[in-house]
Amino acid sequence: MIALLRRAGVARMPLSLYNLLFFTFLVAPIIVVVAASFTAGNAITVPYHGVSLRWYRRLIEYRPFIDSLMTSVYLALSSAFVAILLAVPAAIALGRSRSAVAAALTTFLLAPVAIPALVIGFSLLYFLSSLGIGVSFVALLIAHTVISVPYVMRTVLAVYRNVGINFEEAAAVLGANRWQRFYFVTLPLISPGVFAGALFAVLISLDNLPVSYFFGTANVTTLPVVMLSYLQNQLDPAIASISTVQMLIAIGLLLVVERTYGLRALNA
Amino acid sequence: MQTVDAFAAQRVETKVIKRRVRPSLLYVPALIFLCLFFLAPLMENVLRSVAPAHEGGAISLRFYTKLISDPYYLRVIANTLKVSFVTTAICAVVGYPVAYFLVRRAGRFGPVLLFLLVAPLLTSIIMRTFGWRILLARHGMVNETLQALHLIDRPLNVLNSAGSVYMGLVHVMVPFMVLSITPVLQGVDRRLEESARILGAGAVRTFLNVTLPLSIEGIVTGCILVFMLTNGSFVTMLLLGGGQVVTLPVLIFQQFSLTQDIGFAAAMGNLLLFIVLVCLFVQQRFASGRGARP
Repeated sequence: MIALLRRAGVARMPLSLYNLLFFTFLVAPIIVVVAASFTAGNAITVPYHGVSLRWYRRLIEYRPFIDSLMTSVYLALSSAFVAILLAVPAAIALGRSRSAVAAALTTFLLAPVAIPALVIGFSLLYFLSSLGIGVSFVALLIAHTVISVPYVMRTVLAVYRNVGINFEEAAAVLGANRWQRFYFVTLPLISPGVFAGALFAVLISLDNLPVSYFFGTANVTTLPVVMLSYLQNQLDPAIASISTVQMLIAIGLLLVVERTYGLRALNA
Repeated sequence: MQTVDAFAAQRVETKVIKRRVRPSLLYVPALIFLCLFFLAPLMENVLRSVAPAHEGGAISLRFYTKLISDPYYLRVIANTLKVSFVTTAICAVVGYPVAYFLVRRAGRFGPVLLFLLVAPLLTSIIMRTFGWRILLARHGMVNETLQALHLIDRPLNVLNSAGSVYMGLVHVMVPFMVLSITPVLQGVDRRLEESARILGAGAVRTFLNVTLPLSIEGIVTGCILVFMLTNGSFVTMLLLGGGQVVTLPVLIFQQFSLTQDIGFAAAMGNLLLFIVLVCLFVQQRFASGRGARP
């Protein structure tokens, strides 16, 4: 019996070891960048010789980083907001329907997530400029909203379908009208899905390079675009510190949603 | 009195049902928005790719002919598919044991490991790629460690090669694979495995004949997802490939920023789109095929 147990334990060792290696592989590049952001030297490496915040000071001095970070955050929040306005009503309208038309519409509204973002950005650039909307914040907002709609739609659909119709029926029987039912019953029930979807949309927007790349101007451009051109022109640890700042923003947003609704909604 | 109540209740009920059945038009704003800013630009892109060579001419397929007749572009197309295919295969092989571990063995570490799996998605792709540049550099940590362990004499030139691109791609994509497999693996009935063991199958045979076939659906979902995502990615190739790995998105990116050959870039974008649509079609077929099974 003991021999059997030991054999089972030994058989399990390789799998545990493999997973230890795997998760090291997964987090290593991130930890290295965070460490490199505190280096005191000029070389981009883990700080062997002293820790400093000089590369964070560089962020404040180098205007494009701060400006584009503000643009990125503002853009991510506003495109997520517009996406909520568009996707939440659509999800409610289509979520419970079983018709083929509704299924087709749902597929269409979820489609932008499956199309290579590079192709969307490229096509939209020429389309918008022919409409007279040149590269500008508005163009960026439209492009990012196209990408965000499916994310909000998907999480809201999942939560709304899970909730079931009983609550709304009860409200209707008790005499609530359409708006009262939406505001007092449906909205509180689906809000975890709305927030989770908006969080996804914000995270995707913050990191989006393929779409933003086409719409940057000298004055209005997003952080990933600035980071890419910085990387191509000069190599110093400032990239590591701006990456760390961006990661902290993302973690902060995640914690807010987690505190408010729990992360279960993210599994949707 | 009772009949009146019942009558009233029935009226309310039909009203509710009517409301439910009545098609709601709340999806219209989203539909208009995406038709205008998603569908129309893609359609225009198709038109642009077959634009006549000169004013007033007939539609022309010259960009597509160029794509499929020039050996260089044919190589790029083949390379795009190869990179996606290899990345997908590596992700499946690397990711399956992780999914298995998460579902069956992780126990109380489960939530922590799940967080570690999702954590990379919180960082920008530039950050992760940059991390690999630091690690794989000539005098980076990987080389220094391997040298300190006397496993190699001279630093390896891994950066700016196909190898480092695959490393970066697998790092970005493997969480999607694991997250596709875990829910399916979770749904596998443990009693079936127990039955196989009782009937005399060994651990390996049980895994190969019972567990793996039952979780194949998650693997296929993950493979299609990773294949599509890899097809569209270019940041990793740009920052880790050093020009060694050229795929369609990289070429589109270059066409746009260097040569400004818009019609040709449009044609390449459509080809990429076509590959994605084929993937989606296969996925749909697979999903419906599964639904038909009892």
